[in-house]
Amino acid sequence: MTLAELGIRQKGVIVSINTSPDFKKKLMELGLFPGQVVEIIQDAPFGGPLKLKVKDYCLALRREEAKGIEVKKIEE
Amino acid sequence: MKNKRIKVALAGNPNTGKTTLINAIAGTNLKVGNWPGVTVEKKEAVIEYKGYTIELIDLPGIYSLGNQTAEEKVAIDFLLKEKPDVIIDVVDSTNLERNLYLTIQLLELEIPLIISLNMWDEAQEKGIQIDYKTMERLLCSKVIPTSAVHKKGVKEILENIIQVYENKKFVQCTHFESEIEKYLIELKETIEKVQPVLFDLIPRRFLVISLIEGNFVFEDIDINEKIIKKAEEIRHKLEKIYKKEISTLIVEERYSIVISIYEQCVKRDTLKDIDTTLILDKIFLNKILGLPIFLFLAWLMFEFTFELSAPYVDWLDSSLSNVIAVWAVQGLMAVNAPEWLQSLVSEGVIGGVGFVLVFVPVLFFLYIFMGILEGSGYMSRAAFLMDRFMSFIGLSGKSFIPLIIGFGCNVPAVYATRTIENPKEKILTALMIPFMSCSARLTVFAFFVTAFFTHHKALVILSLYLLGILVAISVAFVLQKTYFKTESQNFILELPPYRLPTFRYIMISAWTKTKAFIVDAGTFIFATAMVVWFLLNVPFGVQDKEHSLFGHISKAIAPVFQPLGFGYWEASGALMTGFVAKEVVLSTMGNIYAGETLKEEQQEHVSLKDGLKEIGVGFINANIEVGKKIFSVFGLIGNEPEEEETDSTLLTAVRNQFTPLSAYAFLVFLLLYTPCMATIFAIKQELNSWKWMGVSVGIGLTVAWVLSFLVYNIGRIFL
Repeated sequence: MTLAELGIRQKGVIVSINTSPDFKKKLMELGLFPGQVVEIIQDAPFGGPLKLKVKDYCLALRREEAKGIEVKKIEE
Repeated sequence: MKNKRIKVALAGNPNTGKTTLINAIAGTNLKVGNWPGVTVEKKEAVIEYKGYTIELIDLPGIYSLGNQTAEEKVAIDFLLKEKPDVIIDVVDSTNLERNLYLTIQLLELEIPLIISLNMWDEAQEKGIQIDYKTMERLLCSKVIPTSAVHKKGVKEILENIIQVYENKKFVQCTHFESEIEKYLIELKETIEKVQPVLFDLIPRRFLVISLIEGNFVFEDIDINEKIIKKAEEIRHKLEKIYKKEISTLIVEERYSIVISIYEQCVKRDTLKDIDTTLILDKIFLNKILGLPIFLFLAWLMFEFTFELSAPYVDWLDSSLSNVIAVWAVQGLMAVNAPEWLQSLVSEGVIGGVGFVLVFVPVLFFLYIFMGILEGSGYMSRAAFLMDRFMSFIGLSGKSFIPLIIGFGCNVPAVYATRTIENPKEKILTALMIPFMSCSARLTVFAFFVTAFFTHHKALVILSLYLLGILVAISVAFVLQKTYFKTESQNFILELPPYRLPTFRYIMISAWTKTKAFIVDAGTFIFATAMVVWFLLNVPFGVQDKEHSLFGHISKAIAPVFQPLGFGYWEASGALMTGFVAKEVVLSTMGNIYAGETLKEEQQEHVSLKDGLKEIGVGFINANIEVGKKIFSVFGLIGNEPEEEETDSTLLTAVRNQFTPLSAYAFLVFLLLYTPCMATIFAIKQELNSWKWMGVSVGIGLTVAWVLSFLVYNIGRIFL
């Protein structure tokens, strides 16, 4: 499944990143590389971006871009 | 004896308190400007400390040392070319893991590094224990806990700058996996053999890693073919061994150093970790409440900027024209100065100063409010909430606030684009702002609707506002699809923790930025005002404006407006002064059409005592007025709009020359062409570019002419 399909307050482990090489590098430099745990915290109204938690900080990604990140859901 | 000069660069991620730190070190010595050729803000300061001259340069906030964004290019360019003696790496202690990634990259530059573990207090409160002594050992660099907001650690930073500078030693002790390091050495040896001069130009480790990654362009440096071949060979080998792309491999290697340091130095007491940001975001980013709260804040900011500054603007204006100008004339009369000189000083010079000063209170209040929104971390929430609505024209939510400010006055609106880091978004927003109909344009609209559209006043004015918005969106859309189409569309936005901004910091930064306006744009505005004075008064002693140089130019350009229905020199003259400021359009028209004198009745004589009293009392009254306004803003009591008296002579004269249709075409032109000289110089200063200023004026004039032409000629078919 992709990061965009993860629900609010759900966690997942990044499996792979399938975006343009430049964007992939950027994401990885921000700590989003395979093996990293991410959690969806909130989403913006009207299908806006997603707020997610990575390491010790939060960042926002558009849904379109979150579709490029393959994750494995962590069941709690 | 001359002081030793130390060049220090401050580097770090965005939202690490870098600016607060440089403020704490430099105080009011801080200068704000732009990096040459780009729209990225530059802050620098020179301070004296213990016999050393320390030059501090604040690099733009970056997440990595790449060359993808304008900020990254500025930073790497500076570090490679200017070769600072010391780098201070400002790190957010509460978010160490991601911050240390840049630290590892900075160490690759082989420049002595001091790490400032900023927001130390906040980390302690959150239960994050950092063993900075161990970190020092693992990174072979000085690590200093700081809390810029409380000025903690500032002295230690200064002491260590000197120490590190005198040592002149750099030790590299962070390494990749030994297999990869072996290849790095291999490439180093090749360079040593083939082209050793490269190492004098570019730091060794940075050079070999960049060559192996193969994505760094070293402009104006020719690299030997053999070295490039060798680097490619190593890249392919590594990709084969590790079965992943080289850039992935390098990023992961850096992060593995980071993670190992993090695990050895950081202990977290999770019980203490109550996340207030999480709770606040539940409110501010709430799906139902988020947008209304944002719109309320945008409205509040608009009120704050314009309502609270208005009494000070009036006070400055009346002090200048009722006291200072009168004094100047008195003084000049006393020495029998000719009349033209009196007019030059009182109208030209003092008037020109006035044009600049009236913006000072507005900008100061704007910067205070922006400082609060930005310093608290709310601005990125605004971007988050509005992204859905702004992204289709290539903008993010951060553009929304400057555009709203534009309805009050375009000048502060242009400066409000400073919060937009992305240069493309910033340029697009600055180009849209002139189409937001400001309050000065409203005075002209109001006069014309009274003259021609008595029964549809509101409708006509509303149509003009909407037309402006529509044009702004179209301009952004077209530029987005043509000029900026190659720009990456990716959106990554950090949502930093909410923090309480400090009063001192907000005041200092508001003042520094206002000062930058006075020096930069102010000079040009003043110069333009002087030129206009000459045009209006040459030949000297001219009474009728028709015979001034200004009148001749107006006549020469009048035919351009023939196809739009108002090809008279009076109309083109009014538009010409509208280029200076829309506030003066009506008084120019009064002067031209009705032959009224532009000069208001001035008081003949003001004694020193009376003058000072007027200025002093005026200032106190302005403060009282502000107090009242705060109440009315928060008490939601609307101020009664002042009833403007409409000049009947002018009304008749204008009715004789314009038809309702040509009047509307005139208003369309007035709405869309260059708002005023202050706005265009603001665009020049903020975008740091004469080119974009020219583009803005060009688009304005073209769109204004074309739409006005269409309105007039299509209208003629139906009417």
